[in-house]
Amino acid sequence: MLDKHNFVRLAENIWEIPPTFRDDMRVAARVYADEDLLDAALGDNSVVQLVNTATLPGVVKHAIAMPDIHQGYGFPIGGVVATRLPEGVISPGGVGYDINCGVRLLVSLTSAEEIKPHLEDIASSLYTNCPSGVGSRGHLCLSNNELQRVLHDGSRWMLDKGYASQGDLDRTEEFGRIAGADDAFVSERARDRGRDQLGTLGAGNHFIEVDKVAEVYDQPVAARLGIHLGNIAVQIHCGSRGLGHQVCQDYVSQFQKAVRDYQITLPDRELVCAPFESKEGQEYFHAMACAANFAFANRQLLAHLIRNSFEQALVGRIKDFKLRQVYDIAHNMAKVEEHEINGRSVRVCVHRKGSTRAFGPGSSVLPEDLRDIGQPVLIPGSMGTASYVLIGTTEAKQQTFGSTCHGAGRVMSRAKAKKMVRGTELRDQLGRRGILIYAGSMSGLAEEAPVAYKDVSRVVEVVHRLGIGKKIARLEPLAVIKG
Amino acid sequence: MNFEEIEHTADRAFRVQGRNFAELLVNAARAMGVLNRLEPGGEPPAMREIELEGIDRETLLVNWLNEILYLEQTHGEVYDRFQILEASNNYLHARLDGRQSIGSAPPIKAATFHDLAIRQTGDGFEATVVFDV
Repeated sequence: MLDKHNFVRLAENIWEIPPTFRDDMRVAARVYADEDLLDAALGDNSVVQLVNTATLPGVVKHAIAMPDIHQGYGFPIGGVVATRLPEGVISPGGVGYDINCGVRLLVSLTSAEEIKPHLEDIASSLYTNCPSGVGSRGHLCLSNNELQRVLHDGSRWMLDKGYASQGDLDRTEEFGRIAGADDAFVSERARDRGRDQLGTLGAGNHFIEVDKVAEVYDQPVAARLGIHLGNIAVQIHCGSRGLGHQVCQDYVSQFQKAVRDYQITLPDRELVCAPFESKEGQEYFHAMACAANFAFANRQLLAHLIRNSFEQALVGRIKDFKLRQVYDIAHNMAKVEEHEINGRSVRVCVHRKGSTRAFGPGSSVLPEDLRDIGQPVLIPGSMGTASYVLIGTTEAKQQTFGSTCHGAGRVMSRAKAKKMVRGTELRDQLGRRGILIYAGSMSGLAEEAPVAYKDVSRVVEVVHRLGIGKKIARLEPLAVIKG
Repeated sequence: MNFEEIEHTADRAFRVQGRNFAELLVNAARAMGVLNRLEPGGEPPAMREIELEGIDRETLLVNWLNEILYLEQTHGEVYDRFQILEASNNYLHARLDGRQSIGSAPPIKAATFHDLAIRQTGDGFEATVVFDV
């Protein structure tokens, strides 16, 4: 059993379990958290899961957990693990079932005050136009050729079809198309599951949220991102839907044999992995990239549907309801990146499982107009609280493989939340605070109650103080569409 | 029902028992249906026969649950009767009976291998399964 005594406190908000803690650890395990958040992490199995990731072949520097760490399966959620290439491994379970689950933020020049009389119409249009639920079907059913294009080209296909602008692509991680996709490694059943799911939200913690910009911490950077105090913003949180789930299932199952073939010993079978450059490793990477492109395309089509919904609700009533994209980020992904380790640039495979890339100023992978300020980072909170816009930093690149937190992080099980909270009461309670809730399932809504989450402001404060993400703005919810 | 839901911060998990491996598989499928909040389906009836392979019983258990999720999602069906026609350590042949789905979409995305081990007990077999939701 792990407790606080197993940690060495390296700095106010940095805690380390040394590699001597367990014989199979190859590197130390680090938790970035304040004391209370560390206590919360020790309340479930998440730190043991973090220690498990420190055993992966090729893991470098240290296995990292962000302050929103909580128990997942295999990797903890809020984990960052990098393996040295070419000999290091890639782990499908380290990316998870919702490959490229992520967040997109759109902003408007319209104020929340102007929108307020029409909010119910907007929320109702969003709920009607953006299908939700695990198996929900979208407006498009793709032919084999069209699906192949989506898997290879991601948001680029959406641009060709008129569902995106070049500006949207410029403001998307990897410009909406991750390299290395090859659909030859995506199974028929994964295609079947995804064929009609583009433009759908899914279930669980996925949502569309209309927000108000409630506070701005860095006026010049916020202005550069088009974020203005009092104005409307819209967040989309979802991923690669059934297609991504199936890609992960296919490879986690196949890799059960691969770990035996490569004689890799692991403390948990969900951590199955293979050397990145091996046949199995490459096949998974090609398939994962396809699922990631599918997720970029999914959020892009949802953005299109959201813009249509705003038009339906506001045309003739509000002058400028145009929604411009701030950024789109992934928080479940394995990516090949260069990072400095012991003064040398090293090529690594960075697994971010419930953590966000947060590259600072000067990064060559950012669009030219963001290079001097850094990459926008989007941190959604729970339904009744707040969300944050941060900007990536040089410190993140130095300390955490260019990564930061991804959300509030759960602190209570879904079963317990449902026992404590009734979905209808929660909806009414939030309604009294002026937050409209549209949800397909009241039971699912109760599972996502704010009480089941940590305080997102506290999580963000930790990464801000550590310098691995700088606060730019805070958003408060006005209407939430839940999957 | 021979299962109990166990606490998991982000996802869902249950512990399930069976007097033999075949019964463990059937009880796990029923337990997943309960977690998935599946409502009894409407007409017409649905029947699927499946064959699966795996390197061991744990892999077969995960593949079995994921196969059911896949069929339910892609065909819009709900299964509530499970017949194991043949089960070994590496092979499974089974029949699923149910109906067209009429309820809302289920929340479970996938069964995982996390901390999965099928244990022999005095009364048969027991396993803990964690699901991604």
